[in-house]
Amino acid sequence: MNPNPFAPDSACGALPGSAEETLRLIAGLPAPQGLEDRIHAGLRAAEPHRARILAWPAGLRPGRNWVHGAALRSAAAAAIVCVVAGGGWSIYARVQQHRPSTAVALPAHPAASGGFSNAGAMRVPQTLNGPMLIHPLTAVQTPAKAPARTARKPLHREQPNAAGKTAAQPSADK
Amino acid sequence: MSAGQAVFSGWMDIAENPVHPQARTHAEEEVLSALVSQYAGTLYRVAFSVLRNPADAEDAVQEAFIRVLRHRDTLGEVRDQRVWLIRIVWNIVLDRKRRAKTRPETDDVSELARVLPAGGLTAEQIASAAQHHAHVLSCVDQLPAKEREVLMLSAFEELTSVEIAEVLGITESSVRSRLFRARNLMADLLNHSRSLR
Repeated sequence: MNPNPFAPDSACGALPGSAEETLRLIAGLPAPQGLEDRIHAGLRAAEPHRARILAWPAGLRPGRNWVHGAALRSAAAAAIVCVVAGGGWSIYARVQQHRPSTAVALPAHPAASGGFSNAGAMRVPQTLNGPMLIHPLTAVQTPAKAPARTARKPLHREQPNAAGKTAAQPSADK
Repeated sequence: MSAGQAVFSGWMDIAENPVHPQARTHAEEEVLSALVSQYAGTLYRVAFSVLRNPADAEDAVQEAFIRVLRHRDTLGEVRDQRVWLIRIVWNIVLDRKRRAKTRPETDDVSELARVLPAGGLTAEQIASAAQHHAHVLSCVDQLPAKEREVLMLSAFEELTSVEIAEVLGITESSVRSRLFRARNLMADLLNHSRSLR
């Protein structure tokens, strides 16, 4: 056993005797009265208590070595495997159910009782106003041929100088 | 051995413990109680040498034994329980000292005069001795931390240099070299203060 290097005859430096005495005095102080009792009391208070509300059943308490039985261990392992597999399968099945629904069907909104309905009216978006035509095209091209066909027969019966008037305009002469 | 047992034997085998858990707990409590009775005084002195306050030192000892209580399962693996306990309380007091740096020091002269024994001394002698001890301790506080720790632990007669090395987690040669430096520094500090007077 190695001696204490602080011994006065050891050659570890030159510390004055008074300083050495002080350090030894501090190191040799007696413990206060009742220190052990207070520590024992503190340890009793700090010791973890058993749970009073939620506690293991007497036969399954962790300290009872119940896990040492081979049958119980196998049963516990099987139960864990079943729970894990069942949980995994339930998640898998749930994901499979939701996969085919790609289109989203909007539910029909039932008319609220007492409210106003739209009566089948559809909103038509307002388009842009196009350029205004000063001379309508109907007076220049298309009406010249179409009335000519229908108005040929009356032309033979009536006067020949009335050919320029269309059948659609007799009321205008009146 | 069946196939199922063969599969489980690799990862589910738990060593059979012949000792009943209650008996083991009871034995651990007895060991802890014996440790308190045997080493509470030593741990208190170690704690007081650093903290220099009786209440703080007692708190540190209490905390050390509570730590032991929490890790009582490992008591059987401890080779030297005394050094192990001193190491625990040493770490606790160093931590407390570090945290209490901003607080005022408690090692004033009046506190020392109250704590230190005064066998057959007059009041004047007690005051003078307390003043001297306070001066020495203030010189100790001026030492570098490594040297100071070795010097303070070496004041305990029951600790050898090997045990000091174990407590501090260093080699024995480091203990000796640090102690040499600490003593020389202390001598210089004390001579310097004496020459100033």
